[in-house]
Amino acid sequence: MTDSKVKARCNLFAVLRGIEYLVENDSECAELVKGKNLSIQFNVKNGPSGNLSFKDGKAEMKEGKHRSTILLFFTSPDHFNKMIDGTGNPIPLKGFTKIGFLTGPFMKLADKLNYYLRPEGDLLKDPEYFKMNTEMTAYAAFFALAEIGNYDRMGRMSAHHMPDGVLQVMVEDGLGVQVHVKNGTLSCTKGHHDDPRAILSFKTLDVAHRVLNGQLDTYTGLGNGEMAMRGFIPMLDNMNPLLDLVPLYLS
Amino acid sequence: MTELKETEALNSYEKSMELYKRALKVIPAGIPGHLGPVQSQFIPTSAYPLYAERAKNSYFWDLDGNKFIDYMCAYGPNVLGYNNDVVDQAAREQYDMGNCMALPGKKQVEFAELLVDTIEMADWAFFMKNGGDATGFARMIAHAATGRDMAIMVEGGYHGVAPWTQPLTHAGVTEGDVGNNLIVPWNDVAAVERLVKQYPGRIASFMATPYDHRVFTDNTLPEEGYWQKIRKICTDNGIVLIIDDVRCGFRLDLGGSAKYFGFKPDLTCYCKALANGYPISAVVGVDSLKDSAAKVFYTGSYWSSAAPMAAGVACINELKRLDGANLMMAMGKKLTEGLVKAASAVDLNLQISGIPSMFYMRLTNDNSLMMQQEFTSECARRGVFFTSHHNHFINCSLTDDDINDTVNVAADAFSIVAKNNPGKLNK
Repeated sequence: MTDSKVKARCNLFAVLRGIEYLVENDSECAELVKGKNLSIQFNVKNGPSGNLSFKDGKAEMKEGKHRSTILLFFTSPDHFNKMIDGTGNPIPLKGFTKIGFLTGPFMKLADKLNYYLRPEGDLLKDPEYFKMNTEMTAYAAFFALAEIGNYDRMGRMSAHHMPDGVLQVMVEDGLGVQVHVKNGTLSCTKGHHDDPRAILSFKTLDVAHRVLNGQLDTYTGLGNGEMAMRGFIPMLDNMNPLLDLVPLYLS
Repeated sequence: MTELKETEALNSYEKSMELYKRALKVIPAGIPGHLGPVQSQFIPTSAYPLYAERAKNSYFWDLDGNKFIDYMCAYGPNVLGYNNDVVDQAAREQYDMGNCMALPGKKQVEFAELLVDTIEMADWAFFMKNGGDATGFARMIAHAATGRDMAIMVEGGYHGVAPWTQPLTHAGVTEGDVGNNLIVPWNDVAAVERLVKQYPGRIASFMATPYDHRVFTDNTLPEEGYWQKIRKICTDNGIVLIIDDVRCGFRLDLGGSAKYFGFKPDLTCYCKALANGYPISAVVGVDSLKDSAAKVFYTGSYWSSAAPMAAGVACINELKRLDGANLMMAMGKKLTEGLVKAASAVDLNLQISGIPSMFYMRLTNDNSLMMQQEFTSECARRGVFFTSHHNHFINCSLTDDDINDTVNVAADAFSIVAKNNPGKLNK
């Protein structure tokens, strides 16, 4: 059973955050925001607030309320979730002169997000697309995991039992996601940590892809050597139930 | 310092992996449960064998022909030595006469009599198959005897895998399964007192292991007077005191771990070392709970099988003959002292905790346990079977030569760990 507030947080801080990656890694997306200096504030009544800014050719998602060019209001977490699903529209409260950015570049970014996160046809056969899809899915999954650990009722129980430290999730010689744990609160960052307390690694990006898409179960992956874990295992043990909740929120 | 072994002399596990790949196709997780390679006891998995082919005394051999000095003892059951001749002979004779029959054999009565004579607090005994059967039965007896619905357990304590023993966040566990559990920290008498005040007349039992021997953390003995205070709280408030001696049983004191720590529980659960590997477990209890135990409907298809009862009788008698608990304590002390010295020689700190016959060890030079994992895996590659994080077990067949060989292998492993982690050595 999912909580619509937690789903809204996942959609805002895990799924929509994917625009950061898009702007950094997709030339078309980079072109869309080139020279732009503006930000979109998402305010969800009885839900999260977040700010997506575009500056110096980069995108950045921040939690909370910040100065913004465009303010979008949502009457409920469900309202926001419907927008992410493509079945609802936001209520613009500020930045009417910048609506062109919303209906133009931002919509194209949203379409690209959908394009990369929901592969169709033979797209995955293209190595570049495969990399983008897998890395974006991994970032979305682990950023969502942090939200679930902090706000979902069952998720909080698992997060509460995670010992402090940094849990590094990584593809050997590739993608890195750090899950930071402090007093049962989780936060997520991209990259590789110098001194993680525990490590969950995938041998290749293909292995990560199969795990993230339910084609390889972690028990098999760990057993046959395609995945590995080491370090302070209670961090991983208590993260596992959170990982089980991620598909419920991101489906 | 012992010279490091050549790389080509290290163990390899091709046949184990070949069979494991077959298993993955037809068995969930390949090897389910605590013996599986993904249960965090085998890190990295490539350093460990996955299947055993045969065993004798303190050793087992894997499918690839590698021999190991074994400090897991099948996670406890191997208490006399694998394939102990006396126990096996007793079991074989009973098998020849009849094992799983329409009625129990007379060994059931003999075994109960022996346990009542051996375990200090026991007035009666009741048999089943697994440690989890025993803890579940003990809890039911407490509910039946008191008519109460709640139960106190110690945080991190392991009492098997029934839903009520697991955290709510584990797969397959529901709120209804664990809703009546009250959890207290180990060694915290005040926390127990608070719960007793908070839930007057509702707490049926207090269940704990004799000392805290959870994984991933140093094992902790009871503080002075802890058990005596818990005993008094339980007595004063009509709470049944249950000791889960499944893991410690017969390795601390043949008269029971409660005897070792100087108190008398109402019920004690046994399994692992009861019959040197033959499948049987037991709950033993005080006279006042005998009727309640009789009332609880509790049985299973193989629970009365006679051969494990015969094995149990032989095992307990052998343990008595050998003074097994003290023997294992002495050997454990010798081993752990050797390991600590070998670690110290290369500026590593090996922390030993718990009881020597069932010790837990951890390199304290980093808090991620990665150095500990490196150490035990290098030992496994060289034929000494330590797991990454569980407490280890001594058995009565362990020899001084085994201990010397083990310390030599450990010295090699410690050298590798020290070489790979120069920045984390003792200052």
